[in-house]
Amino acid sequence: MLAFIGKRLLWMIPSLFAISFLAFVLIQLPPGDYVTTYIATLASSNEVVDQNTAAQLRERFGLDQPMLIQYLKWMWGILSRGDFGISFEWQQPVSGLIWERMALTLILALAALIATWAIALPIGVYSAVRKYSIGDYFFTAFTFLGLAIPSFLLALVLMYVAAVEFGQDVGGLFSSEFETAPWSIAKMLNLLSHLWLPVIILAVSSTASLIRVMRANMLDELPKPYVTTARAKGLSEFRLLVKYPLRIALNPFISTIAWLLPNLISGSVVVAIVLNLPTAAPLLLQALMAQDMYLAGAFVLLICALTLIGSLISDILLALVDPRIRLE
Amino acid sequence: MRDETLSRGVSRRAVLGGMAGMAAMSLVGRVNAADAGGEAPALAALVKDGKLPPLAERLPKKPMVVTPYEKVGAYGGTLRRGLRGSSDHNGILRMVGNQSLVRWNLEFTQVLPNLAERWDVNADASQFTFYLIQGARWSDGHPFTADDVVFAIEDCVKNTDLYSATPAQLSVAGKAVDVTKIDDFTVKFTFAAPNALYLENLATPLGQHPTLFPKHYCSQFLPKYNPKVADDAKKAGVNSWPELFRARCGDIEIPSRWGNPDKPTLDPWVVKEPYTGGATRVVMTRNPYFWQVDTSGNQLPYVDEINFGISQDVESLMLNVISGKIDIQERHISVLANKPTLSQNMKKGDYRLLTLVPSTSQQCQIYFNITHKDPAMRKMFADKSVRQALSLGINRQEIIDIVYFGQSQPYQAGPRPEHPWYNEKYARQFTDYDSDKAGAMLDQAGYGKKDANGFRLRPDGQRMFFTVDVIPTLYPDLVDALELVKAHWAQIGVDMKVNTIERALYYTRGDDNAHDAQVWPGPGGLDPMLDPRDFFAFHPQGSRYAIPWSVWYTSNGKNGEEPPESQKKRMKLFDEARSTADLDKRGAVMKQIFDIAADEFETVGLCLAVGGFGIIRNNLHNVPEKQPDSWSWPNPGPAMPQQFFFTS
Repeated sequence: MLAFIGKRLLWMIPSLFAISFLAFVLIQLPPGDYVTTYIATLASSNEVVDQNTAAQLRERFGLDQPMLIQYLKWMWGILSRGDFGISFEWQQPVSGLIWERMALTLILALAALIATWAIALPIGVYSAVRKYSIGDYFFTAFTFLGLAIPSFLLALVLMYVAAVEFGQDVGGLFSSEFETAPWSIAKMLNLLSHLWLPVIILAVSSTASLIRVMRANMLDELPKPYVTTARAKGLSEFRLLVKYPLRIALNPFISTIAWLLPNLISGSVVVAIVLNLPTAAPLLLQALMAQDMYLAGAFVLLICALTLIGSLISDILLALVDPRIRLE
Repeated sequence: MRDETLSRGVSRRAVLGGMAGMAAMSLVGRVNAADAGGEAPALAALVKDGKLPPLAERLPKKPMVVTPYEKVGAYGGTLRRGLRGSSDHNGILRMVGNQSLVRWNLEFTQVLPNLAERWDVNADASQFTFYLIQGARWSDGHPFTADDVVFAIEDCVKNTDLYSATPAQLSVAGKAVDVTKIDDFTVKFTFAAPNALYLENLATPLGQHPTLFPKHYCSQFLPKYNPKVADDAKKAGVNSWPELFRARCGDIEIPSRWGNPDKPTLDPWVVKEPYTGGATRVVMTRNPYFWQVDTSGNQLPYVDEINFGISQDVESLMLNVISGKIDIQERHISVLANKPTLSQNMKKGDYRLLTLVPSTSQQCQIYFNITHKDPAMRKMFADKSVRQALSLGINRQEIIDIVYFGQSQPYQAGPRPEHPWYNEKYARQFTDYDSDKAGAMLDQAGYGKKDANGFRLRPDGQRMFFTVDVIPTLYPDLVDALELVKAHWAQIGVDMKVNTIERALYYTRGDDNAHDAQVWPGPGGLDPMLDPRDFFAFHPQGSRYAIPWSVWYTSNGKNGEEPPESQKKRMKLFDEARSTADLDKRGAVMKQIFDIAADEFETVGLCLAVGGFGIIRNNLHNVPEKQPDSWSWPNPGPAMPQQFFFTS
């Protein structure tokens, strides 16, 4: 097991390099560069950028150098001193910008994950065990509705109702008095009181598919001989379900942990923008649109690193949970 | 007692000139009154605790007196406004950062004193002597003097490590301005050649450099004053001292201007919660040393704080407006499509509407690329009768009715009808819809043959086809307008493609001279001197009908392509206008330019630019309900938000 983990960790290093290079190239592929975009944005409100300023900006940001040189410089900064570069747009070190956002993103992602599982697992099991019952139809219909409604629309509607009908503050993850306050118990509680809305919106869409997966897996397992055997040995129905078929049916859940993080970050972009959440997604989108390449690159790199870590975790968990998997 | 220029400048209404003077005199007697009517209660409390010097020591001896728009206001309240998450630093600039040496009047027609209480200009407009307000202070209490102005230009703006080229405003004939100190409160700007427009330019946001960098603070980031600055940069985690300077002292138009709460400013409000990459809001708080008072001697601003909420999405900003959570807003929401929603919810949100007078001239200017790389295309677009025919082939009234709700009139180019330099011929020629005449003109120009689909053929046998670039995310209305134009042109046998592309690509195509035609709102309606890009090839990115010519002009003939005589003549005339101090003479020169431009008919316009709008909460007062909408008049800044106030 340890050797396996070690080998996987070593493999991550070249993977990360390849990913970071690809990300860097992709960010630079669109025509123009940060300065073009910057001028274009200002021009949208008929603001004029001095011609000299544009040339000067390009020179200052090193945009006049070949891309490979820019990439190598960036990488060297990260490896030699943990310096992710400067965000063009904000004139701030990138590392200062991303950590708090990433932390909030992880909190939101985990909360949404837990909520999704907490809804999907019991319903999935129930639907499988009580196949074609009224309850099964009810939940199935209900969750399909959730899948069909685009999450940004749900967010807008909920916000409209909350803001216009009930006069509540919507958007963001904190009340204004906590927004810039240092972390404390009160701030955590405040975060929790704001978290439920985005969590519900994010959970609603992913719950439906998970219920179907769970239901199908359980239906596969339930008629198997070991279940019949266990039942014949007099195991209570609940213990029987939890101990054997559920463990195996969980396999797809665990093996998708790796994708969950990037999915929750990229899948929540629209929701985060509509709800004005201070997570990584809106900042990443902005950075991509502005071709603020070091900031965007750092986010992509981190998300990729999380994916790699996630897949390692799911492999380890699978080995623990699923008795059919052996590493040797 | 008071300087004449100052009081004339300060008051828009003549009758208040005298009042302003009296108020300033009475100020000295009132500041230490127990009820402290002259300053905000919070500041009065700080003074009482000894944490802040008394008002009389914080204000200039003769503070600048601002005549409130409606009435003298009351202190208090937080003004709420919205920003977007990215590149919206100028949203703050427009509200807060408007304290230059001079400023615009409300009508956008005259330059008024601001931090300079008066000035002298020599006969050929190459030397400007500014007399600064004596005793004005930076927001940390440090005096603002001639040294700051000299430092800002000589040590910062002219420093080639910070600005590899001097900003266009501050250099004439390829040479940077020289700024010298006459005494503590007098500075002289000397240009290498006449620069008659300098005062107007100084009143625009790009003219803020002289008052942007406090010497006592920003000098610590320059090697000349601080030999250890390289180490400081390293400690701060940036690569070089110019980066450190930029991060700490900012520049006119970069986000980091609002990212450092430590930097002293001359603005009515100072940064409390900065605008940084991760920010979800920006909070500005009252500057205790602000150097302006109202006509009763009360220190401005009235409003305690400004809270800029950052919305990623315009819809959520709209939601905030409708539910009454924004006090004044026009930026981002002012597109015509939002007007019905905002009008309907006026009661619910408890706000009234604000009218913006566009400073632009044309809603949709079509720039055919007269300098096209393909010789056949170039020949076609360079033919004046082709352009005239295409203009006659557009049914402008239909576009106005359908796309602009009837709120405009057919228009070509040039200053707006209310401007004194309005040119009837330039503005209205070839705006009638006459497809027969258009067809006949195209026949005559050599485009008479048609293909099987009824489209005209060029002399070389190719179809008369071109693309028009437009940015849908930026100007959705222009896409709709162009679709109608496409249909109109199809009727006269011309095939056009509405080419919807992304912003950066639009710019790159223009920079490479790779476009057939592009559209953009045509500027110069109220500010024809500041942005004459439609009148001749002036702007290497904006004069899209002949970018190589404008490159030739801006590079003094070194690059680009030599333009024809009529362009060169206009370039000369404009240079002449720019160095003519007398406004009437300048107008006469500019009118010659408009006459030539009207004859040449280089651009094709659709209709007069349509005004935007905004909202003001009903409890917010002293806000002019009609304001120019311009970057040169960075609304609402010149309407002086420091004298806005709340009731209840």
